[in-house]
Amino acid sequence: MASVSLESVSLRYPSGAMGLADIDLEVGDGEFVALLGPSGSGKTTLLRTVAGFLAPTAGVVRIGPEVVADGKTVAPPESRGLGMVFQQHAVWPHWNVGRNVEYPLRRAGVPRAERSARVAEVLDLVGLDGYARRDPATLSGGQRQRVALARAIVGEPRVLLLDEALSALDEPLRDRLRIELQALTRRMGLTVLHVTHDRDEALALADRVVVLDGGRIQQVATPAELVERPATALVARFVSDATRVVGSRDASGFAADGHPLRLPASGLRGAREHGACEIAILPGDVEIAPTRAESGSAATATVVSSLFGRDGNDVLLDWAGMTVRCHSRTQRPAVGARVDVAVRRAVAYAAER
Amino acid sequence: MSTIQRALTGAAVPGRTREGARPIRPRRVRFDGVSLTRALLWAACLALVLVPLGTILTLAAGGNHLATLLQGDVVEAAINSLVSATLSAAGAVIVGGGLAVLLDRTDLPGRRVLRLFALSPLLVPPFVGAIAWIGIAGPTSPVNLWWRDMFGAPLGTIYGGHGVVFLLVVHSYPIAMLVVSAALRRVPADLEHAARIGGASAVRALGTVTVPLLRPALISSFTLIAVSNLADFGIPSIIGLPERYVTLSTLVYRYIQSGTVDRPLEVVATIGAVLLVIALVALVLDLLASRRRWELDSSASTPQRLPLGRSRPLVAVLAWGFVLTLTLLPLLALLSQSLLPAPGVPLAVENLTLDNVVRAVTAKGTATGATTSVMLAVLAGLVCGVVGLGIGTLVTRTRARDNGLLRAVAILPQAVPGLVIAVAWLVLAPRIGLFNTPWLILCAYITSFVALVVQAVAAPLSATPLTVEEAARASGASRFRALLDVSLRMAVPAALSGTVLVALTAVRELTLSVLLLSPGAQTLGVTIFNLQQAGAYNAASALSLLITLIGLAGLGLAARSSR
Repeated sequence: MASVSLESVSLRYPSGAMGLADIDLEVGDGEFVALLGPSGSGKTTLLRTVAGFLAPTAGVVRIGPEVVADGKTVAPPESRGLGMVFQQHAVWPHWNVGRNVEYPLRRAGVPRAERSARVAEVLDLVGLDGYARRDPATLSGGQRQRVALARAIVGEPRVLLLDEALSALDEPLRDRLRIELQALTRRMGLTVLHVTHDRDEALALADRVVVLDGGRIQQVATPAELVERPATALVARFVSDATRVVGSRDASGFAADGHPLRLPASGLRGAREHGACEIAILPGDVEIAPTRAESGSAATATVVSSLFGRDGNDVLLDWAGMTVRCHSRTQRPAVGARVDVAVRRAVAYAAER
Repeated sequence: MSTIQRALTGAAVPGRTREGARPIRPRRVRFDGVSLTRALLWAACLALVLVPLGTILTLAAGGNHLATLLQGDVVEAAINSLVSATLSAAGAVIVGGGLAVLLDRTDLPGRRVLRLFALSPLLVPPFVGAIAWIGIAGPTSPVNLWWRDMFGAPLGTIYGGHGVVFLLVVHSYPIAMLVVSAALRRVPADLEHAARIGGASAVRALGTVTVPLLRPALISSFTLIAVSNLADFGIPSIIGLPERYVTLSTLVYRYIQSGTVDRPLEVVATIGAVLLVIALVALVLDLLASRRRWELDSSASTPQRLPLGRSRPLVAVLAWGFVLTLTLLPLLALLSQSLLPAPGVPLAVENLTLDNVVRAVTAKGTATGATTSVMLAVLAGLVCGVVGLGIGTLVTRTRARDNGLLRAVAILPQAVPGLVIAVAWLVLAPRIGLFNTPWLILCAYITSFVALVVQAVAAPLSATPLTVEEAARASGASRFRALLDVSLRMAVPAALSGTVLVALTAVRELTLSVLLLSPGAQTLGVTIFNLQQAGAYNAASALSLLITLIGLAGLGLAARSSR
């Protein structure tokens, strides 16, 4: 096992597009780190840079103490001692399961007897005991992904890279493999870099989550921190579906631009500067109630959608022209209904310049 | 209640009460426009494919000329045919496969332009290639003349078996290259990435993962090329005969032309039947071999090109030199031969003349040959276009149990040597009153080339889900109306380019035309062939160059307009 470190790593594509911009990241030995971001955010680019399929144009990438890329020279993927699982499993169709799994051992020159013992052991570990002679075409999607996982960990890689490894599976299976993946990697003490666009998956699995956007790191934090204290309004919106509102702040509190929303200073966390600012309202901090006759029109909104959830309903509101997301444990109004809205609290950020 | 709500709850909609009131019973057999179209297309297949091939088989079985087949010259010709076809197919797969990997998976400089050059022999008729190569390596070529001046004897000529194999390779490797290229693009890049992560170098990942996955493509391109080379006429007759290297196609030509055997038609039909059986066996073996096909996922990531590193300049020079020698050099040789008064005259400015070109173009045979060829090619293109459009659309856009069979029958002639098709129509000719008419050639063209349009139409259409027709049906179109309005409309552009392809192939055809030759039905290919046989090498070269250039221009225009 080894740590991974990136020091001001940038990657500019030949077309001129920026793939990664000034990435600094330390992944500790045995740590499980998820790379999260919308599509095009650079998370796969970052993973492929660590894997060695892409060469950074500047900056230093280290795996353990060893420099694998420094903007001029770049070590090829095969010499980096990694394991990798791809979204489309990439199990080689012309070899059986055992031959697939033992491939990294063959390349490493492990003797035959030890190879078959290790293959049997690792197949047992992923729940495919006795599958060594099977043709990959006869396996289900979940089993193929387990073969891919077995192949990735059989050589005791320094770092395990997961490229949307669970995204192609259907929901119940994905959930089960998520559990198995965590149990397995924790038990083996593997250093893992896991790329996903599934927010719940990133929060559920990772020790730390890296949120990327536009090739830049927006925040690196534990899952709890990420939900509680998003570093920017953008992170809050991407991770927690927060509503972003632009306005200004003074001693009395926050006033939205062109919207009736007002918040007292007691309901605001985060930046304290007066003047122009932006706030992010987490869905759980929006309260709704059936509208009462005496309530003024300024605090009533129309329900756009109302989705049922196990631990509360996701309600989308049109509040005087602004779309607000609300997570309510008690209320599930009908679509088109009028409701009273109250914002309990919000996080304030200094306005971007 | 809104209309949508009514539809959702299933309540009767005003104006549709008639249907709503009566329960819809599924009718098993419905005879409508689709069934009629299907019946007509089956009839066309019957007349164009099954009857000719059936005739040749029955005649061969009835005549019992198997003893004739064991005569020395037939056996020798058969061996020559089999050996040249197998060797040339192996060579073509090696050259084509190697070029495909080099051009698709490495960072070879100028690979896009080189790819176009490498594919260009497809556009040059094989007999034209043969004429051109005589200019490079024939007994009176500059190289051999110079060698004879230096050492007293020529270095060696292209005439003979080795030349036949070489030219067959040159004219069939682009097919292998196309097939392998397409297969390469279907191998997901992730498979190689996984091998790299597993510790394999880029070269090893290519060799252990990608190349083994190409096996089905290599096998099927080998079969396709071997079968089509089994009975090529132009190359063995121009390159092989001067050294008495006889193949089945040149032997059959001799039998038909000079009547050196009794009942030549039956003997020829027996040879054709044997070839047909060989072709069918090859086809079945190919099907069996490729049945174990791997299911490959689509991949989002683009494949990585193998960096050639320090050997890049060397590989580039070798690849460019190799391809240009095979493609550009023959055209230049053709050009110099066209401009020189006679073979062996040194290439110098004062010797250049346009006489050959003028003589070739103004000769009476040329004009009639051109007229016949153009007429036959246009008609063949139109008929193949219509039939191929129908079959290609029907087998991809409808659900029916006989789709697979209909498609297989229509495509079958592509796996049958042209020689067999020519003999089949020759046998059939007196019975349908087409003996000694150009229409016989037209029939043979249609049989041979309808598969081109079927494949051109079927390939793009099979990728579109059937829901587009179902959407038309749901909007109130009948089965036939949906076929006309949606399926056929989608297929027309592909059918048009297929038609152009057929016409351009037919206008330069030789094997069928030369065997089905009748008075007044001499095609352009036959004109050139006769000029060559009569010793008018330079006139033959001039005409070859002209039709090659016209063909290239035509295909270029077709490619441009279809974009």
